[in-house]
Amino acid sequence: MSAIVFYIATVVNYFFIYNILAWGLNIQFGYAGILDFTYITFMAVGAYVAGVTSLGRQQPGTGVTYILGWHLPFPLPLLLGGLAAALLGLLVGLLAINRLRSDYLAIVTLSVGIIIYSLVGNLTGLFDGFDGLVGVPEPLNGQVHLGVNTYTIFYMAVTGVVMVILWFFAQRLRSSALGRTMRAIREDVDVAESFGKNTFRIRLVAMVIGCFYAGIGGALLIGFVGAFSPGGWSTLETFIIWAVMLIGGRGNNWGSVLGSFLVIALLSEATRFLPAIPNNAFLEPALRNIVIGAGLIVVLRFRPQGILPERKAQFSEVRAARAGPGEPHAG
Amino acid sequence: MQADPPILEVDGAVRHFGGLRAVDGCSFTLQRGMLAALIGPNGAGKTTLVNLVAGALSLHGGRIRFLGRDISGWAPHRIASLGLIRTFQISREWARLTVLENLLVAAPDQRGENLWNALMRPGVSRAEERRLVAEALDTLDTFGLYAMRNEYAVTLSGGQKRLLELARAVMGRPTLLLLDEPMAGVNPALTDQLAQHIETLRQGGISFLLVEHNLEFVERSCDYVVVMALGRTLATGLMSDLRQNPEVVSAYLGGESVERAAG
Repeated sequence: MSAIVFYIATVVNYFFIYNILAWGLNIQFGYAGILDFTYITFMAVGAYVAGVTSLGRQQPGTGVTYILGWHLPFPLPLLLGGLAAALLGLLVGLLAINRLRSDYLAIVTLSVGIIIYSLVGNLTGLFDGFDGLVGVPEPLNGQVHLGVNTYTIFYMAVTGVVMVILWFFAQRLRSSALGRTMRAIREDVDVAESFGKNTFRIRLVAMVIGCFYAGIGGALLIGFVGAFSPGGWSTLETFIIWAVMLIGGRGNNWGSVLGSFLVIALLSEATRFLPAIPNNAFLEPALRNIVIGAGLIVVLRFRPQGILPERKAQFSEVRAARAGPGEPHAG
Repeated sequence: MQADPPILEVDGAVRHFGGLRAVDGCSFTLQRGMLAALIGPNGAGKTTLVNLVAGALSLHGGRIRFLGRDISGWAPHRIASLGLIRTFQISREWARLTVLENLLVAAPDQRGENLWNALMRPGVSRAEERRLVAEALDTLDTFGLYAMRNEYAVTLSGGQKRLLELARAVMGRPTLLLLDEPMAGVNPALTDQLAQHIETLRQGGISFLLVEHNLEFVERSCDYVVVMALGRTLATGLMSDLRQNPEVVSAYLGGESVERAAG
């Protein structure tokens, strides 16, 4: 019984974390039309920074080397992870967004991701290279002292609270004039520019906010798993999050939730229950990607806007001004 | 008292693409309140000039002044913020925004576009938002698009998209509207309708510079015409006078086209 509860709680944790990741990507692409093909890199930076700020100082002789080691209490590592990812997003954005758009930007982000991947893997003093960080403290477990199973359930509440807060801001941004201008930029950046919108700055804002979400997602992930290495954020993983967002419906945060549920909680988990395939250890993990890829193709073929497409903005039509300029202007 | 500066001064503008000098020392001056037309044969550099004035292309020489301020080399959004709004030769609506949203985005300097306001204080822009919606609905009403307000702009017909371009430009609170072939590809009834709107807007205080091939409209409505050929200003003045100008006539292939286009 408790095994099933533990399993479900684990899947729910991943589901919550992928919601956050998908919203961040949705803010970048669904709102502002930024093709970020290295989104996973920002998640990784969030995870690493949260890891090294919650771990204690590196111990000589263990062979595990990393920077910082500040041993900060939750939620500081979480916030620092988000901020570090946002900062990296700002740098990449400053480099690439001003001069490049659409597919060119996609290629540059992809390259940046590969460069950072190689750097992190080879500069072992940074985040312990390809071996990665291990033994990252479980957030708040120093206070609550729970066993593995109960902690997993407890952590659901932690990710849940963070998720609700980020949902709130993602939705607020969406319904704001800023979110509307972002969507206009997504549709035609030149026209937005010709209406006085500083499209570079606004796309940069979307990039940075999206990266912050990625970083928070990564920080929650490393707190949950307790370890993180480059194997967990290969280029391919970026496209899992893209699949989550596109299958669910771009531009719609509820779509991301649905996509996260379908891809992470159903498709991805379902492949775990396949019977073992003898003499082919790599086939099973590969099947996960095959199934997700097939799901993406089916959705893009039959519902190109996703299962829950972006909803039309509705406005309450109080046409008081119809009568003339008598409407008082609350500036 | 000093007189008002001209609304637009183009002073020796140059722009080349590789070896092609698309705009090659073009100069003219527009006064406030003008409904001016920019005409010339295909390839004369009219659209390039519009892009130079709007900041979409960078100048390779010369200066451009708007209301006395040198805007040469400015980013398009800064130029637009001064009240110089342009439209495009091909309608470029924000396709997957509703018609109403297309107008709302166009409004300048919205408090809700500030990140802090958007995330932390949505209340501060609520009154502004209500006012903008009311203004946008009125504008849509004026342009006969009210019924389409909640449709995605991509679903509009070609003619409706032309009207949307103009309505959206009006929401940008322009001082000078730069229209690149506002009547390209529209039927005669809509041409009249667009001409009517332009005239009304002009009486409301907006100045115009429009690139136009419909010379009949230009002659009827425009009080100043700039003729461009080979990237230069060939002549300026009233259309009725320019018709007598042999250089203008020959630029239009021996005058035949001028007469024919004028119907």
